[in-house]
Amino acid sequence: MTTEATRHATTIAAAIVVVALVALPAYVGQYTLTTFIRTIYFGFLALSVGLLLGQGGMISLTQTAFFGLSGYVIGLLGTERGFPSPIPELAGLAAVLLLAFVFGLVVMRTYGTVFLMLTLALGQICWSFVRQNTSLLHGWAGIRGIQPPSPFGLDLTQHAIFYWISLAAFGFGLLVLWRLAESPFGLALNGIRESPRRMSALGYPVFWLRVTAFVIAALYAGIGGILAAWSSGIVTPTAMQLSRTIWILLVVILGGAAHFWGPVLGTVIAVWLDVLISQLTPRYNTVIGIVFVAVILVAPNGILGVLEKIGAAGTGPGRWRRNLFVPRAAEAAPPTHGRGGHT
Amino acid sequence: MRLMILILNGLTQGALFFVLGSGLTLAFGLMRVVNMSHGAFYLLGGYLGIAALKLSGSWTVALAAGGLSIALLGLVVERGMLARVREGADLSQTLLTIALSMIIADVALAIWGGHPLSIRSPAAITRPVTLFGLTYPGFRYVLMAIAVLIALLLWLILYRTRFGIAVRASVDDRETVSALGVRIDTIYSLMFMLSALLGGIAGVLGGTYLQLSPGEDTTILTYSLVVIIVGGLGSLLGTLVSALLLGQILSFGLAYAPEMSMFLVFVPMAIVLAIRPEGLFGRRT
Repeated sequence: MTTEATRHATTIAAAIVVVALVALPAYVGQYTLTTFIRTIYFGFLALSVGLLLGQGGMISLTQTAFFGLSGYVIGLLGTERGFPSPIPELAGLAAVLLLAFVFGLVVMRTYGTVFLMLTLALGQICWSFVRQNTSLLHGWAGIRGIQPPSPFGLDLTQHAIFYWISLAAFGFGLLVLWRLAESPFGLALNGIRESPRRMSALGYPVFWLRVTAFVIAALYAGIGGILAAWSSGIVTPTAMQLSRTIWILLVVILGGAAHFWGPVLGTVIAVWLDVLISQLTPRYNTVIGIVFVAVILVAPNGILGVLEKIGAAGTGPGRWRRNLFVPRAAEAAPPTHGRGGHT
Repeated sequence: MRLMILILNGLTQGALFFVLGSGLTLAFGLMRVVNMSHGAFYLLGGYLGIAALKLSGSWTVALAAGGLSIALLGLVVERGMLARVREGADLSQTLLTIALSMIIADVALAIWGGHPLSIRSPAAITRPVTLFGLTYPGFRYVLMAIAVLIALLLWLILYRTRFGIAVRASVDDRETVSALGVRIDTIYSLMFMLSALLGGIAGVLGGTYLQLSPGEDTTILTYSLVVIIVGGLGSLLGTLVSALLLGQILSFGLAYAPEMSMFLVFVPMAIVLAIRPEGLFGRRT
């Protein structure tokens, strides 16, 4: 096939997928629709992790905290205090942005493994906070009875309408992310991933660019969190717990963190796999863990990485990278903090 | 009196943190890998300790069984997983340990269930001890003594054995040490085993002093990470100081702000990272 023909084929295939997705409520049952909605809100979370990992080379284990935070804020302000929409939603996103900024100031001084540890610790602290706090957040029980609002007369309690709104939001989110990857900001982020020192020497404000990326990524997680809370009607510490954090990281790596569509593909597979495995065995985490080990040992670039190798997939916009976990050259190794000896 | 009790609680907690953090930080200093399954090692070590106690009836056997079985697991993990993705890929290694922690925690849940379990300590060391007019559980003094012993042993291993010399030299310059004829892979395996051993021992100690339940693994991992970040990655002395500090914060936090106790542990970490990102005793590069 010529490149021209390939492009035509891709356009037609994309059009078919879009039409099939939009028309979905017409030909599937409520269970399938709910599963698609779940795919979308976890998709937002995966995009959040994927932006940092794919574009910036940062493995963050804090993103689920933002996912849970926005849910808690709308539950607290909307459901419990009765503030009218859109105040709780805006407050939720504002809280996410603020927390991400503060966390970003702390974690963006570090790189690589230390960054991963720090984000894990911060995420776990948020989790333990919501778990321990019984007076305001009801500990393990969480906040129940969260209802989606009815903006412009749209009844979001209807599954089909909720699905369309979520789908539109997700499409818009993808579009923004695509433009971001092609923007000077996206390219600077790629440069930082390859060599923070060089970018710093070239005059780029490396620290602030990374903080900005962290805040943007957190916003995606926050939007996913709001959709999740509306859809399930409940927010509990489970939304933030480590197994969820690890799961979403696996989802991104499984799909192919170095590819634009990797997080989306990973989420689709993982959510449906979840449905299948849960029917077969209660040991879902063991299965997921083994898949994780296999992916990292055998195909660290995920499914799209394998497809790309056999020539069946492109990488998408921006300068995406082949293997995120191996520095390209020795000089690309970031300055590590606290590289220690034995005192 | 209440103040003294709180300080002693903090010391007990700090002793446990030290046993957990020391292995983690030493392995990181050498291998640049943070073992994210350290918390799962702790939990599994504790559970295996319970099983060993049931079979043998001896707490000492339980301690040895918990520690040694996890050390063996560490060897398998290091040889079978980490060694496969070594060169320049410390993030892959860390991710592998994350996946491993998920598997271990899930298997432990399948075998030992979701109810909290704890290890009964032998009557001889459980009896309350009265010291300076203060009565306090005897086992907690034992725990502190074991931590001190471990600290001394680790110091001896690092500074008085050929293994320790090789480890300290490898931290600075792995290639030269390797060129001098030291089997660096063996050093790595031994260090990871030592780290796992300490994780398993901590599990039996923690299982006796606190209790073991699903979820405890990630909580313990978080504490351990905070301990080694605050202390400075790779620094044994730093781990000791920060373990004692965080033990006190947790103890007083639990007494005066129980809804915030874990959150409070975060405060010193934020301060230390803001002022001294390499940690209290970390080395700047």
